[in-house]
Order: sequence, then C-alpha cells, then structure tokens
Amino acid sequence: MRTLGQIFLVAKGVWLEAIRRREIYVIVAVSCLFILALAQFRFFGLETLNKFYREVALKIMGGASGLTVIVLGARQLPREFESRTIYPLLARPIRRWTFLVGKQLGVAGAGAFCLGLFLCLYVLGCLMIGVDLYPTLLLQHTLLQICMLLILTSLCFLLSVVVSFDAAVAMGFLYFVVSSVFANLYLVMYESTAGLARGVIVALTWLTPQLILFDLSEKNVHGDVWPALEAGVIFQLVIYAAVFTMIHLTGTLWIFRRKSL
Amino acid sequence: MSTQPASPVIQIENLEAFYGKGAKRLHALKGISFQVHPGECVGFIGANGAGKSTTLKILMGFRFPDAGSAYVFGEPAGAASSRERIGYLPEVALYYPFMKARELLELYGGLSGLSRSQLKERIPALLDDVGLTGRGDDLLKTFSKGMQQRLGIAQSLIAHPDVLIYDELSSGLDPMGRHDLREILHRLKAEGRTVFFSSHELGEVESLCDRVIMIHQGNILRDGCLEDLKAECGQRSLEEFYIQTLQEESQA
Repeated sequence: MRTLGQIFLVAKGVWLEAIRRREIYVIVAVSCLFILALAQFRFFGLETLNKFYREVALKIMGGASGLTVIVLGARQLPREFESRTIYPLLARPIRRWTFLVGKQLGVAGAGAFCLGLFLCLYVLGCLMIGVDLYPTLLLQHTLLQICMLLILTSLCFLLSVVVSFDAAVAMGFLYFVVSSVFANLYLVMYESTAGLARGVIVALTWLTPQLILFDLSEKNVHGDVWPALEAGVIFQLVIYAAVFTMIHLTGTLWIFRRKSL
Repeated sequence: MSTQPASPVIQIENLEAFYGKGAKRLHALKGISFQVHPGECVGFIGANGAGKSTTLKILMGFRFPDAGSAYVFGEPAGAASSRERIGYLPEVALYYPFMKARELLELYGGLSGLSRSQLKERIPALLDDVGLTGRGDDLLKTFSKGMQQRLGIAQSLIAHPDVLIYDELSSGLDPMGRHDLREILHRLKAEGRTVFFSSHELGEVESLCDRVIMIHQGNILRDGCLEDLKAECGQRSLEEFYIQTLQEESQA
C-alpha cells in the first residue's frame, strides 16, 4: 500500500511538471488547433474529405501524444541527475524501482491525458462534420495507443540512462517515426530473403517493439469495411506491450541501480 | 551492574572509494573507519576533495564503496529501512522549480510515510522554523539560494528523523539563516537526535559539535572530543587546530 502511495506521489510530480512547463502546452495546443481546423473543411465546401479528416486527425493524435511522452520521458532521469533533485528524493525510504515505476506512470499518464483530450476533440470534429465514428474501433485504437505510449516511455527511460538527454530525445523520436517504415520494410525483405538473412529479419521483428501494431488509424478511416479486432487480439497486444515495457524498465533499473549518483 | 553501550548509529569500517579508471584513478577514501553514537553531534571537517561528500554519499546509498562497509542503524548503508530514520541535506540543494514549497514538502513527507493530516499540521510549523513563513504557496523558481537551503533543512526534518546527515551544513545561508539553523540544531541535539554533518565553517562546528572527525586526502587525521583535540595541540580554536594539523601533515 505504501509502495503504491510512493508511486503515485512520484507520478504526481511528473504531472505537475507537465502542467507547469510550457513546452507540452505548445504540442497540445498546436495539435488541438490542427484537429479543429481539419474539421472546418465543410466550410470550404470540401465535404468529400471526411476520410482525410479521420486519417490526419488520428495521425496527429498519435504523433502528438508520442512526442509528449518522448520529451517528458527522456528528460526525467537526466534532469534529476543534473539538477541533483535525485538526492533528497532517494534519501527517502523509496526503492529505485518504485521511483522508476512512478516516473513511468507519470509520463505515460500525461501522454494518455493528451490522447484523451485529442480524442474528445476528434469526436467533436466528427460530430461537427457528420462523420461516422466507429466507436468500438476508436476505443480499441485509443487503448492500443496507450499501450504504445507505455512502450515509448520506458524506451525513452532506457535511452536516457545510456545516452545524453538530447540523444535520447532524438533516438526516441527517430524510432517513433521510422518504426512503422521499418515494419513495412521487414515485410518486403522477409518475402525477398531466405536462410540466415530471413532469420535476421525475424529476429529484428521480435527484438524491437513494432509500434505499428498499436496503430488502428487506417482501420478507423475505413471502418465501414474493417470490423473491430477480436478481444483475444487486443489481449495479446496488451501483453506484447507489457512485455516490452517490462524489458525496457528492467534494463533501465539494472543500469540505474548500479549508477553512482 | 554494567550498561551495554548503545549500538552506533553510523558505523564505517575500512571504507575505500575510487573515482575514474586507469592512470587517472583517484583514491578518494583510503580505508577510513569511525562510528557515530546515538545523541552525538559530530562535525566532519576537511579541505575540498578530502572525501567528506563521498563518505556521506556512501552512507546514503548514492554511491557504492569499492571496499569496506558502511552501516546506518545496523543496516547496510542505503537500505530503505535505515533511510526512514535519516534526514539528509545534500551539498548543493536544488529542488523542482515548478513546485511550490508546500508541494515539495508534501512529496518528501508523503514518500516518508506521513499522512495528509500529519503533513497539514507539520508543514506550516516547519516553514516557520526555517524562516519561510507564508512562502508555502510560492513556486521554488522564485526562491533564492539561501531560501532553497532553508527549504532543504525543512525537508530534512519533515519525517522527525533520528539522525541528521548534512553535507555542507550552512552553504548559501545568510548570517540570519545560520543563526536560525544553529537554533534548530541545538534544539534537535537537546531532544537527543544524532547529528553528523560536514562543514567548512569551523566556528559553526565548534559551537555545535561534541566531537570532530578530520579527514584529509581520504584518510582520517583526527577523531575525538573537540576540547581534547584543541588541548592536544595547545590551540584555542578549532580553526587554529585545523590549520596546525594540516601544516603538520604537509610537512610530514
């Protein structure tokens, strides 16, 4: 019970930071503006662009939430070390894993909050222009995006204890952007290779988190022909996200516990 | 009937620490040993780079010793159960600039297991004690260095610790702040708390401590009762004793 309270307190610190620092506002405000602006196409007589609205708005939702957790996640540990705020914090009876899980909850929670905000605006936009919502698919997409935020947060933590803050942000962002490109590339390469090369492709697919699996935006765009995912698939994806999050957090903890502060 | 001596609050045995690797490897602590007993107020003095902060960091579990051992309340240094009874003030105290003073104390108090009602009662009293009355709802980015140090002292006291470990006790404090801090420490001493702190302010050490441990280049040079040490060298003040000891050491 006490550990849970400590996790929540550390997470609360991250939320306070997210609320009181302006850079996150910029990401959120610009994204909100884009989503609302997209919903105004009807004003210009572009009524056939409903699918375009869904596609772009959902991509902005995912992109902005991802960017939020990358910026917040990559700086949590380096900033604690550099500003030495880590000393009075770890002088309390708190274990390092508790501290780390609190940070994870805080950053992923902030990302999920942004996602929720964007979702509300997206729904509002859909209602404004009279676009079908496909609520089941939309909820599944949101849940899977939260799973992706968990993976991305833990990945940024791991990167931030290995490389500098700037490098962690750059690498986190790069991975976030190119992972879907690589996922498609793996598919093509898998078909065109054999033997050891194919083994390498399979290994890479399994060893790196495939963020594209958590993106149902295309299905939402074409929700009229795509059914919602089965519960079993969603469950497997949640487990997949939990495993990668655990691997990243374990790696971070392993380095963090050995680190002389 | 003989009384059993109380077990030490802090116990350090043959502690060694290194910085760096290869040819640039620095032997920061060269097998130091000492104990601090309950109710003692011990000053840990030495020049910059003597090994004071390294020792205190090991005691808090922030870095690991390369050899030897360190215990606090009989637990290995850094154990969560021992940290529950420690109030720690780091050498350079910086706190989250986006937080308010009250929020920071709520965070640290909460992590130490204090309930909301306890915190509600404790925080205003602590802020009064350290001279930050009425500043609880101010953001820390508006605090001066001295005010941050005062807040640092407040955070170290929030959970009623049994031992206070302070690294550079009055760093950044103005004369009034130093006076207030001395008052607080005198009161804590009278309550029987154990205090172990490093400081360059030898007058402050002299006015507060029963015992002084002097460290130089990773070795303990002197460890004893303040009056005995001064008498041993025939000096009237700790500063004279300190300078004489260092001069003797450099000539040796």
